[in-house]
Amino acid sequence: MEIKEFKRKDETLVATLSGRMDAMTSTGFTDQMGVWTETGLKSFIIDCSALDYISSAGLRAILVTAKKIKTINGSLQLAALQENVHNVFSISGFDKIIPITATLDDALNQ
Amino acid sequence: MNLLRRRGIAFKLSLWVLGGVTLVIAIILTLNYNVTRRLMVEKIEENAFNLAQATANRINSLLKAAEKIPAGVALTIAELDPNDTELKTLLANRLEQNPELFGIAAAFALKPDATDKLKLYSRYYVRSYDRLKESPINYDYRFHDWYQIPKVIDKPLWSEPYFGESGGIVMTSYSTPFYRQKLGTKEFAGIVCVDLSLNWLRNVVSSLKIGETGYAFLITRNGTFVTHPDLDLVMNETIFSVAEARGNPKIREIGRSMIAGEKGFTAFTGLTNNQKYWMAYTPLPANGWSLGVLFPQNELMADIHNLTKNMLGLGLGGFFLIMLVILLVSGKITKPLRALAKSADAIASGNLETAIPTLKTEDEVGRLALSFAGMQQALKEYIKNLTETTAAKERIESELNIAREIQMGILPKIFPAFPNLPEFNLYATIKPAREVGGDLYDFFMIDDQHLCFTVGDVSGKGVPAALFMAITQTLIKTRISRSSTTTLHQVNNDLARDNPSMMFVTLFLGIFNIVTGELEYCNGGHNPPYRLTPGKSEPVQELPTTDGIALGVMDDFAFTAKSITLAPGEALFVFSDGVTEAMNQRDELFTEARLEKILAPLAKQPVREISDQVMQEIEIFADNTPQSDDITILTIRYIGKKRNNDEQTTSKTSPPPCQG
Repeated sequence: MEIKEFKRKDETLVATLSGRMDAMTSTGFTDQMGVWTETGLKSFIIDCSALDYISSAGLRAILVTAKKIKTINGSLQLAALQENVHNVFSISGFDKIIPITATLDDALNQ
Repeated sequence: MNLLRRRGIAFKLSLWVLGGVTLVIAIILTLNYNVTRRLMVEKIEENAFNLAQATANRINSLLKAAEKIPAGVALTIAELDPNDTELKTLLANRLEQNPELFGIAAAFALKPDATDKLKLYSRYYVRSYDRLKESPINYDYRFHDWYQIPKVIDKPLWSEPYFGESGGIVMTSYSTPFYRQKLGTKEFAGIVCVDLSLNWLRNVVSSLKIGETGYAFLITRNGTFVTHPDLDLVMNETIFSVAEARGNPKIREIGRSMIAGEKGFTAFTGLTNNQKYWMAYTPLPANGWSLGVLFPQNELMADIHNLTKNMLGLGLGGFFLIMLVILLVSGKITKPLRALAKSADAIASGNLETAIPTLKTEDEVGRLALSFAGMQQALKEYIKNLTETTAAKERIESELNIAREIQMGILPKIFPAFPNLPEFNLYATIKPAREVGGDLYDFFMIDDQHLCFTVGDVSGKGVPAALFMAITQTLIKTRISRSSTTTLHQVNNDLARDNPSMMFVTLFLGIFNIVTGELEYCNGGHNPPYRLTPGKSEPVQELPTTDGIALGVMDDFAFTAKSITLAPGEALFVFSDGVTEAMNQRDELFTEARLEKILAPLAKQPVREISDQVMQEIEIFADNTPQSDDITILTIRYIGKKRNNDEQTTSKTSPPPCQG
């Protein structure tokens, strides 16, 4: 798994998340998001178009991060999920907690 | 090379250095030999030429001196026309005055005598036992070479050597024609001829001292040997006949060059032996003969050979000296290495307490010993750490195993679970991953008519997952009511309270009326189960979603439930994502599609059979790929009140079935 800053638009940071996100790798996500929030960033859009797989531990990492961002009145959006990853979110019901958009542009235009 | 590889450093060092030394010595010796030899041969060539030239000059001057005598006599005869007495006196005087001459003759062309008859007239004096003696020529000399050739070519000439008729002496003659003035023209009148014994020539040539075994020889214009140490050759053989006899074209070649009056220096094989010589040859201008001076090669080369031998001796001495030094030095240098190698072997065989030899030197070996000692220490510590870590890991693992056993222990595992309730069949199984996972299932009767069953999957793995699973399992039992939504709502709130790490559990909960076949279910974020309807064209149908959410994340979530009614024979296949996300060696997932395809023909099979078949298919698919997640399957079939299909239920009159 790899998470990288893609661009910034206004106060929003757009990051790309790629590879497989599981118990072994999801700490990388949590840590990087922690670093970014430390710098004062509050609004995040994660481009998941290159994210091939997410395990329940990966889901948990995203939930934990989303909860943290919520406490600082920020926002976390996921965009452009692959079908299997989207299924995981919809089956678990977490798409009710985490805003998900079909494309990155959709997220940016909101 | 294998043999060499196993040898010690000292041996290899010696071998390479001595090899190099040998090569250098060999090169020096060869170069020295070649250079010295070349210089020597150049020197020999010069000496040989000088010697040959000096000798040739000496012989030549003697011949030149001899040539003057008949010239003088011929002049006297031509001018004074002496009578017989005067001629005899003239000849005798000349012979007496020139001791190198053997004889002197004056032979006239036909000359009228007193009676005016044309007659041969000649006077010939020879030396005999230190006295002079007249020796009449009793043959018609007009047809002999010594007379005829100078007459024809009209100039003086040295003859080929010949045996003098008067005493077995090899001689050569110099013939000078003389003339008479007649009517203003010059007319041939006769020949004055002196005989020269070749003994003196032989003395001159053989007096040449050329080393121990060198010699000189003289050949005539047509190659006949005039002098040679081997007397059998003299006057009997030519250089060409010898070349022919020995089958040696090289000698013939040299012979040609010699009689052509050329000078030369060449390697030469002895004519009577096979010794090797250097030969210089030079012509005698007086009579066109050729002198060869032979220097024995072995004699001359002996010096070079001695020099080379001495140098070889020196080289060998140096070689052994260097060898000794190398052996001593390399032995001394590698001694600590050997000690180190011994210790290393001991350490390698497991004895970590082996002492590393302490070295005083600070060279590479010293540093090696130091770092080796450091490595030994590090190895000891590493092994100690490893032992401790392993022990700790084993302890944790055994604790995890116990946790796992406890976790598995709280799952109901006795089938048939409800032998007294023929209305339905139920079978559930879990195949735990090697690592502790968080799958759960449960089933129990709420009252006489209602069965509650659950299948769930806790996020993550390990002890936290196991604990969370146990809590969930317990909470469901505590919070169970006739309403699936109320139950899930309460369990969710219990779990969501104080859950900072956002552990969650997906949970499918069904409440089944065993009499009517009605099923109320609520899905908390779990993968949707399949409804199996045997005989239908599409026997495998996903259960409609209730749009729930996994438990533990969001409190006060309003769950909704759905209801369906199973017809007798219909079944519900509930499972965890360990089934669809089972992986094979190529990292491919098992997938829902595959599961549906497998389930279709199994729809009417007994519940346990369905479970076993799916498990077996997963195993075949995974092909020994380590299982990363728990695999859970729970299958329930509604039988109804009548026993109207192939699934036997327990009764007092029939034996217990083997399936659920």
